[in-house]
Amino acid sequence: MAWITKQSGTIQIDRRDEPYLTAEIRKDFESRMFPRYPDKQACTIPLLHAIQDLHNWLPYQAIEEAADFLGLPASTVLDTATFYEEFFLEPRGKYTIWVCQSVSCEIMGNTKLVEKLSEKLGIGPHETTEDGRFTLMNVECIGACGGAPCALVNHKLHENLTADNVEQILDGLD
Amino acid sequence: MPLESPILLKNIPTPPWGEFADRKTLSYDDYVKADGYKSLDQAIGMEPKDIVEIVKAAELRGRGGAGFPAGMKWSFLPPQDGGQRFLAINCDESEPATFKDQVLTEFDPHLIIEGIAICMKACQLDTAYYYIRGEYHHHRVIFENAIAEAYANGVFGENSRMGKVNERWPNLYLQRGAGAYICGEETALLESLEGKRGWPRIKPPFPAVAGAFGRPTIINNVETLSMVVPVLANGADWFKSMGVGRPEGAPPNVPASFGPKLFGISGPVQRPGVYEDNLGVTLKTLVEDHCKGMIPGKQFKAAFHGGISMGVLDTTEYEAEMDFDIGKKYNNLGLGTACATIIPHDVSMVAMARNCARFYSHESCGQCTPCREGGNWLYKMLTRIEAGDGTMKDLDLLLEIASSMGSMPGTTICGLADGANWAV
Ligand SMILES: Cc1cc2nc3c(=O)[nH]c(=O)nc-3n(C[C@H](O)[C@H](O)[C@H](O)COP(=O)(O)O)c2cc1C
Ligand code: SF4
Repeated sequence: MAWITKQSGTIQIDRRDEPYLTAEIRKDFESRMFPRYPDKQACTIPLLHAIQDLHNWLPYQAIEEAADFLGLPASTVLDTATFYEEFFLEPRGKYTIWVCQSVSCEIMGNTKLVEKLSEKLGIGPHETTEDGRFTLMNVECIGACGGAPCALVNHKLHENLTADNVEQILDGLD
Repeated sequence: MPLESPILLKNIPTPPWGEFADRKTLSYDDYVKADGYKSLDQAIGMEPKDIVEIVKAAELRGRGGAGFPAGMKWSFLPPQDGGQRFLAINCDESEPATFKDQVLTEFDPHLIIEGIAICMKACQLDTAYYYIRGEYHHHRVIFENAIAEAYANGVFGENSRMGKVNERWPNLYLQRGAGAYICGEETALLESLEGKRGWPRIKPPFPAVAGAFGRPTIINNVETLSMVVPVLANGADWFKSMGVGRPEGAPPNVPASFGPKLFGISGPVQRPGVYEDNLGVTLKTLVEDHCKGMIPGKQFKAAFHGGISMGVLDTTEYEAEMDFDIGKKYNNLGLGTACATIIPHDVSMVAMARNCARFYSHESCGQCTPCREGGNWLYKMLTRIEAGDGTMKDLDLLLEIASSMGSMPGTTICGLADGANWAV
């Protein structure tokens, strides 16, 4: 839910010396992305994607670095980041499983999928396994209703899922 | 009358003309071989305002949900003043049950790009952003690649074959969403494009006057822009020979339902998928003919006929005509995205309403209290009723909450809450 922001101003930020916002990303944005928009703020979402694609989540330090780079207050970038379901402000598993729960998938039996996944991984929706391999997400329509029930594993779409073939998919991951 | 030959799906094999299994992505060269980019060449030789006139004469209505006439929207733009002007293409497609734009994006991206280029020329828009939902990873790669091909072949960029548009070389960029349904609402999309939370804006000002970065902006759905390509090639009369005209006796200012449309059908049918047919085709034809009927043992009970926001058709409305008049005729909110989820006899309507309420409570952007709080209450009550613990008072309260939230009763900024109350 987009409007819930839990963290307060007293939060302690874990820091490391090596920046999350790498020199390559900076260079790419300076040469390729900034010219696309009338102002730098418009690069917020593309930049957050670039950082998250590299590190798999968005630590607060990364948000601060992004804000510095864009010439914005960190709170502005955090405000944007917390709105979108795809941005993770906490570490998540190597594989994120996004199971669709909207109407077509519910009709075609997605509850069995979620049960199977929860049972196999030992976690509920929006939780991560202890070994840091899997994060399970119950999400709304992912736009593949013709193949319901469906799910994304990271960027890969799987359609016409059943309790059996979903198990095979998990077993096939390294 | 069924559609004789595919229009938008000309290059995308689809029953009855082809097989889903034969679908593959068309490259720039494939598309040109299939007579692609001819409409753009035609547009380049035309006065911008003449292109707008053709789209207006065709009465092409927006295919993204609201059905607003595209030509009319385009003519709301103020005169050029030397500053930038934008096009935002809406490929957010997050409405549950809707999966039509992704088919065009995946298999015929250059059709969309050609439509985009024509619109930029017609409206004198120098920069276009293709806003694609975050979850379409595979599609994003394909479209990014198609954009690169279009640049390499002189559609966009310096020395574009269009010449300068609004005194600048035209550009098309892909913009990746990040998982928020509300960003499909046009002003939320603009906020997101500007790097902010996807919070819908209060209108007016309308985007055509002050949209992205405070500048004039046109926002159209992917399918709408794709349709501009055949309309320009074949003319307004050709387009109006398909679909259904105005309801009998209606004055000419009442918008009609001309032309073909993509329909995405999902649920327990034998061959779910995205099909093309004339507006006015019945839901029954879509299910029985296109989708080869229900899965054995399942019976049609009802359908979300246009995404979940438009309400439902019940068992007696199986033969409803799928056109822009459906809202008035069958007392629902409208055609929406024309993508239907079929609800079989053994699925409870309360469960479906509960699912929708959860969706709206989860996807509400939180700006307006009736939507933010109301959605959540609807979800809680429907969950209770589904568990068998409902009381008669719950029903009254459901209706009371539902009828007090939405832009129709005037208590919210955008239409998300209307979708929520129509589900109830
Ligand atoms: C809550 C909400 C969600 C919407 N989602 C979408 C969407 O995902 N895709 C889309 O094309 N239009 C969506 N719309 C409609 C857009 O606001 C807008 O009307 C449309 O993009 C205009 O394009 P068109 O005239 O070509 O249809 C949505 C509207 C609302 C109120
Ligand atoms: S109606 Fe709901 S989604 Fe729309 S602006 Fe208001 S709170 Fe946001």
